[in-house]
Amino acid sequence: MKWLSVSRFTFLGGLLTLFSLLIISRMIAIQTGPVAEELNNWAKSQSYERRIVYPERGKIYDRWGHLLAGNKIVYELGLELRQHRNPQSIALTLSSILPSLKYEEVLAAAAMPYDPAKSAYITLSQFVDEETKQKIETLKNEYDQVNPGGKNPNLPSLNGVVWTPKLIRFYPEGKLAANVLGFYTYANIGQETGAQGVEGYYNTLLAGRPKEMVLPFDPYEMQALPDIPPGADLILTIDREMQAAVEKILDRAMEKNGAKSGTVIVYQPETGEILAMATNPRIDPNRYGSELTTVLPKNMAYNNAVSTVYEPGSVFKVLTMAAAIDAGVVTPDTTFIDTGGYSYGGYVFRNWNQGAWGEQTMTGCMQHSLNVCLTWVAVEKLGKGKFYEYMEAFGIGHRTNIDLALEGQFPFSTPLDSNTWQSVNLATNSFGQGVAVTPIQMVQAIGAIANDGKMMWPHVVKGYIQDGRQINIDPLVVGTPVSAETARTITKMLTITLEEESFSNASVPGYSVAGKTGTAQIPGEDGYYLPNATNASFVGWGPSDDPKFLVYIWFEQPKADSWGSTIAAPVFPPIFKELVRIGNIPPDDIRSQLSGR
Amino acid sequence: MRRTELWRHFDFWLLGAVVILSVFGVVMIRSVIAGNIDLAGYDRRQAIFAAIGLAVILITTLIDYHLWSTLAQPMYIVVVALLVVIFLTGQARFGAARWLSFGIIDIQPAELAKIAMIMVLADYFARNIHSEKNLRWILRSFAMTAAVVVWILLQPNLSTSIVIMVMWASMLWISGLPPKYLIIFLLLAIVAAGALFPFLEQYQQERVINFIFPNPNARHGDNYNVEQARITIGDGGLLGQGYGSGSQVQLRFLKVRHTDFIFAAMAEEFGFVGTVVIVGLLVFVIIRCLRAARLAADPYGSLIAYGVAILIFFQTSVNIGVNLNIIPVTGLTLPFISYGGSSLVTLYFAVGLVESVAARRKTTEDITGA
Repeated sequence: MKWLSVSRFTFLGGLLTLFSLLIISRMIAIQTGPVAEELNNWAKSQSYERRIVYPERGKIYDRWGHLLAGNKIVYELGLELRQHRNPQSIALTLSSILPSLKYEEVLAAAAMPYDPAKSAYITLSQFVDEETKQKIETLKNEYDQVNPGGKNPNLPSLNGVVWTPKLIRFYPEGKLAANVLGFYTYANIGQETGAQGVEGYYNTLLAGRPKEMVLPFDPYEMQALPDIPPGADLILTIDREMQAAVEKILDRAMEKNGAKSGTVIVYQPETGEILAMATNPRIDPNRYGSELTTVLPKNMAYNNAVSTVYEPGSVFKVLTMAAAIDAGVVTPDTTFIDTGGYSYGGYVFRNWNQGAWGEQTMTGCMQHSLNVCLTWVAVEKLGKGKFYEYMEAFGIGHRTNIDLALEGQFPFSTPLDSNTWQSVNLATNSFGQGVAVTPIQMVQAIGAIANDGKMMWPHVVKGYIQDGRQINIDPLVVGTPVSAETARTITKMLTITLEEESFSNASVPGYSVAGKTGTAQIPGEDGYYLPNATNASFVGWGPSDDPKFLVYIWFEQPKADSWGSTIAAPVFPPIFKELVRIGNIPPDDIRSQLSGR
Repeated sequence: MRRTELWRHFDFWLLGAVVILSVFGVVMIRSVIAGNIDLAGYDRRQAIFAAIGLAVILITTLIDYHLWSTLAQPMYIVVVALLVVIFLTGQARFGAARWLSFGIIDIQPAELAKIAMIMVLADYFARNIHSEKNLRWILRSFAMTAAVVVWILLQPNLSTSIVIMVMWASMLWISGLPPKYLIIFLLLAIVAAGALFPFLEQYQQERVINFIFPNPNARHGDNYNVEQARITIGDGGLLGQGYGSGSQVQLRFLKVRHTDFIFAAMAEEFGFVGTVVIVGLLVFVIIRCLRAARLAADPYGSLIAYGVAILIFFQTSVNIGVNLNIIPVTGLTLPFISYGGSSLVTLYFAVGLVESVAARRKTTEDITGA
């Protein structure tokens, strides 16, 4: 050791000791005490992710369990920027398979530089169906065999193209009952919600309860996403077959009469269940994004049956007559001498053909739809007190609270509303003018006549299945505006009417049915009625002795003709025939034989 | 000297400590690369390198270290030549040309240069052990060192340059540098550092600035790595989160965790206790090298062993210092533990040199027999 200094070695040893002490003191400082705890919490906060897991949206079935709205798997197509080496090949292949993808766009996306913080993954297409995905997958595998891992940038390769499955809303029947179903805004990523119809009304129930979860990133602590219960499934009162039949008839009638819109409601008077509810135009909810603006005219409601108010015209006479008979002020045989005009409140009211019809019974008044007669009944027989009492009982001016989104309503002026009500209103209201209702309001009110006076709450959901249990929605009586006797009397009067009416376009062979047409002028924006623009309506129910179906038909501004009797009434028989066929209701004679036995 | 005597003085303690450290390194690499496709198989590669390294130790032990003395000149020329070649044609990786590709293996000539410089400088100082310690003696050794360092600095690879300069300075010191020169050199070094700072590469400047004035708002950038290292070490606590269970490591918040920050990874998974054991083992290795230097048969052997001790000591302290945020970030690896084939095999070769020196040490028998 004489050649190297020992003291210098000792000096070095001192340095080494100092260094070790420094390290250990520093380790103690960081790894123990409050600092360690703080750092530990920090590390923990980096190792978990909070995520909200959404349950699968509930399905929607018709009353017999046919699927009307479900979910299907589609794929989000994306590109992992780190993995591909041949952008041209990806752009060329994908743009040829998916017409929605443009070559230049894909190329621009694929040419983006990889940056783990900013651009590591690019979404190319949100909703790629199974078949297309299969095509891409096959191609990717084929390329990969020739060019493993896409390492050679000169050979075609789809390396880096990835797909993630996800569920989207799917309506297997397309346009069928679209107005009842509504739609789900699945394409508005992050803002998906049910809109319109039952999708909108029952959105919370269908969506289920989202669950917030704490998910560890650590693969060793990884746990499967728990099975969270899906949203409730809805069972509609809609009968798919009846709905399809009604839509078909409605669409054909629309082609002929050229109306702006058409609405048909089929209602079960005993329960208030809606068996079919058709509107035209209607969209395909699978393509809600484009069709909402292209198919539906501007300012037209998604579902006219519940959202749009209009002046119903003579169909309203059913309610006026029911009130008068129930009040005992007239009988079907009470006579009235029609002189062709009736003066009241400074106005003269005339019949639809401006004619004088002479001596008429009440049945005749209804049969010929005489405004003069009904005005007389309301003004002289009922009086405003009774009339508005009955109309209140029929729910006029109030929402039915049907379980569909965006039900419309127009306030009904009564003598209590001194600002808006004038005495002339009593006269016009009696034949359905100066009063605005939604089709579903009329259905509910007239439904009482078809159901022995008991007015049933109209609804489209029969029940729902939640957490494996079925919860049924029971029929609900919302009022008894008239007695059972009155209801039967009115039905009988209107049945006779249909049988005897000279142009009884609405009669159905083999079945006795009751019904009433209605034609109303349409008020323009200035409050005056528009020339040559009418709403043609018809309400019919049957079989008369035990009504199973009530059908409400409304055409807005038909072009071929303007009368309810020529436009709306002829649509009733084919619909009713389909209903009794699908509903297995035998003709009257067979039923009387069966019940007689 | 007979074969049996050779193995009698072979330092099994040193070899044992090195093997334990290497095994631990492989185990640690296996944990930090888990699930990373790009780094898959690195643990296996490191194990293979360690096995090669063991053979290197044994072969180097068998070779009499005086052979290297005669090879000093050609070795020096080869190293400078390799460095020049890599400077001119080297492949750019991570913005710096450091590797030479030889088919299946890539070699970092800078790693070789460290060992070569130990041997070349040891040869120089041993030859001149009895000559006067004047400025000429100092400047000649400096010139030899600078001729190598300049090429490494140009790569640019500041950390290896500093390692070699530190080795030169320490060997100068142990060879009897008069204290007055030491003070002059220290002053000169401080002035030079200040003057040269503007000429550093931008990323090197930023690292130094970030170290001195850390930006508390910097999350993903400048001092992200050291901040994550601090969290990682703190997360370990006294006993650690357990092997393969450090969330900072496994979830990859800690970057370059298989090389520069493997110490932090270790601290998270094995805690304070585990870390102290590893630091203790490294210190033990250094002490065994110094012991070999003290017992060496001649100044040349002594200087070699001493140089290796300095190399291991400096790399260890800088690496741990970076992990603990005591000194600015530099790319120095933790000896025997960090991933890196060139680095590991070079270190094994260095240990082999120390073993060669230890095995040929002056024994009491030799002394009494003399």
